Amino acid sequence: MPEIRNYTLNFGPQHPAAHGVLRLVLEMDGEVIERADPHIGLLHRATEKLAESKPYLQSVPYMDRLDYMSMMCNEHAYVRAIEKLVGTKVPVRAQYIRTMFDEITRILNHLLWLGTHALDVGAMTMFLYCFREREDLMDCYEAVTGARLHAAYYRPGGVYRDLPDQMPNHEYNEFRSKADIDRMNEVRQGSLLDFISAFTDRFPGKVDEYETLLTDNRIWKQRTVGIGVVSPERAQQLGFTGPMIRGSGFAWDLRKKQTYAAYDQVEFDIPVGQNGDCYDRYLVRIEELRQSNRIVKQCVEWLRANPGPVIAEDHKIAAPSRADVRGDMESLIHHFKLFTEGFCPPAGEVYTAVEAPKGEFGCYVISDGANKPYRLKLRAPGFAHLSAMNEMVEGHMLADVVAIIGTMDIVFGEIDR
Amino acid sequence: MNDSVRKSIRERHLELADKLSSCFSEKDCEVISQFDEVTLIVPSEHLIEVAETLRDGEEFEFRELIDLCGVDYSDYGLSEWETTTASGTGFGRGVDPEKTSGNSQPSRFASVYHLLSMEKNIRMRVRVYLDDEQPMVESVTGIWSGADWFERESFDLYGILYNGHSDLRRILTDYGFMGHPFRKDFPLEGHVELRYDPEQKRVIYEPVTIEPRTLVPRVIREDNRYLEPDSEQQDTPDA
Amino acid sequence: MKALRDYVKSLFLLELMKGLGLTGRYLFKKKFTVQYPEEKAPISSRFRGVHALRRYPNGEERCIACKLCEATCPALAITIEAEPRDDGSRRTTRYDIDLFKCIFCGYCQEACPVDAIVETRIYEYSFENRQEAVLTKEKLLAIGDKCEAQLAADISAQADYR
Repeated sequence: MPEIRNYTLNFGPQHPAAHGVLRLVLEMDGEVIERADPHIGLLHRATEKLAESKPYLQSVPYMDRLDYMSMMCNEHAYVRAIEKLVGTKVPVRAQYIRTMFDEITRILNHLLWLGTHALDVGAMTMFLYCFREREDLMDCYEAVTGARLHAAYYRPGGVYRDLPDQMPNHEYNEFRSKADIDRMNEVRQGSLLDFISAFTDRFPGKVDEYETLLTDNRIWKQRTVGIGVVSPERAQQLGFTGPMIRGSGFAWDLRKKQTYAAYDQVEFDIPVGQNGDCYDRYLVRIEELRQSNRIVKQCVEWLRANPGPVIAEDHKIAAPSRADVRGDMESLIHHFKLFTEGFCPPAGEVYTAVEAPKGEFGCYVISDGANKPYRLKLRAPGFAHLSAMNEMVEGHMLADVVAIIGTMDIVFGEIDR
Repeated sequence: MNDSVRKSIRERHLELADKLSSCFSEKDCEVISQFDEVTLIVPSEHLIEVAETLRDGEEFEFRELIDLCGVDYSDYGLSEWETTTASGTGFGRGVDPEKTSGNSQPSRFASVYHLLSMEKNIRMRVRVYLDDEQPMVESVTGIWSGADWFERESFDLYGILYNGHSDLRRILTDYGFMGHPFRKDFPLEGHVELRYDPEQKRVIYEPVTIEPRTLVPRVIREDNRYLEPDSEQQDTPDA
Repeated sequence: MKALRDYVKSLFLLELMKGLGLTGRYLFKKKFTVQYPEEKAPISSRFRGVHALRRYPNGEERCIACKLCEATCPALAITIEAEPRDDGSRRTTRYDIDLFKCIFCGYCQEACPVDAIVETRIYEYSFENRQEAVLTKEKLLAIGDKCEAQLAADISAQADYR
């Protein structure tokens, strides 16, 4: 009689379904998983330590590179922490712009999650369709910040620049007919807000398409229903936030419960799951796509009607405008001070959190009165979610690991920091 | 957020601070309210009892541990504002050395817990100051299971030992890494760098070759139009 | 009744057919893809591509070696050395940008008081060896000379926003 032993399987770090650089050491009994030990840190860049050596302003671009699928939400948590320390009031228009771009970011993130999760589970088409819509939103990012991913757009006290009045157009070329290019440029004739508004009009139809492909699909259901079930009590114990805890039945959403930016001015609902399995979390996120679309629509309406400043007037914190720097000595001095030495918030410690697409992204700043943070701790939602990996996959089959990694919406930029 | 909401947030935090100080004052705990946030400083020997009360007590219900992190206070409040010679740790602090009070923290290491009560919709912070030489504290994994990886991270980056943690391994740094990189005495550039050696056909570690580069913010006053021949004053740190 | 309906739905693979119909319809629709590199996606005047140093119309360098970009660069990618010239004006003798370090955050062009260092629309660039990744002053000025018309147009288009 041969000896029957568990064997150990190494999954990743270069596995397409590992969503980056996750290395999982799986102890298997046949095809059933007995224990999963995620090894992380392969993308550790010590962002927090780097931030300790730079003035506050200079860490903003590093926030984009944490969760590189929800760039502006990370920036939002960080600039809110600084604003709380300094006590700056943010202009209302900036609050709405932030709300709108947080939601655009949420759509971007959920689309990527949906595409890759479906791809992992075996639905190739979803990936292509999701990236088609992502492209439009990337164009919004590019038009407003100049970069498709790493925005560096939020600033302590507001946002860097107002929304542009023009969208860049496709140029005529010999590979495509003129009529074709004119058709592609149709939505790009007006301002950025017109472009976003056109997107919000057609987006619910696209979400319907995704749902046609997945929601009732028997293969999708077989792969997700009853997989990775987390009870509400355990979800709380394990520190889940965002769609992960909403999928387990908690109506917890920082946008409603501890509101920030302009979320108290817009209408939206919080979707909640019942069973806490992968399928419920999928439904929650699909509904969040629709709700985010609704918020973006309301923000577009408001932003059209209310022009105004987008960054605080306090030049100790926020850079003066280019025209002022050229014409006014005091502004020039502020400009120089701000870009060399930065500003010194009072000593103290703050924790601010935003509802990032993946959950609660928190930012804990300890200031000792200097122009750089004494300690910056970033609370990444994915870190807490991934730590529950062992509990979630135990007793499942190997193929379900992929579904569970997918449902956690893991991005290593934020987990490893 | 309008002013009435903000006011009620402040009131609720003050209420929580009152409750905390009445409940834990006999355990030598201290309550600090700042920026509408409540911090409870707990002596490390009472951490477990306090944490249990915070989780299960009817007036607290902090069922979720949002974040746990280590802090190294060894450089806290120390000025390093020099412009003619570069400071060792990067940018100058941009503060007037005469106004800073120096390091006012009671000990070098601290472990900081951020708690959230979904039922009461309120947050709080717990801080435990630890020993300078042997930072050790009881693990809270028995109270909040989510603390598992957070404690591993804090151990990895600061070398804080969590007594009772079932699996206290390094988490973010490399296998076989030496030292605790987030301590203030660990250089930003690190100690070793690695590269692939084609001769040995493996990845090798070498002492770090990056020069610590410092850009001390300064106001340039070396313009020859303003430079007097006998001037000794250069780079005055004002602006 | 519902069970019967579900059974029929399930038997005839209705939900799969619906999905197939959806993807089938896309087969006959216009393509969304842009045929890169023959045609390129549109980019805005705020785009942050590779850097350039600009000159005044009379050919004089704009950069006055104030070193704001060096101080504000989060990645410490910029190295500047400066000396006064014979005519007494202060200019850089060395202006290096290490593109391996650069994170294209745009802080240098934001900080520059004279619009000397700017980020162009160029996003297609490559190096054959590691030394070339350091853009020297000559290279930066050459990029600036090449793109000056576009850069001036972009900066004037953004003048109202900054």
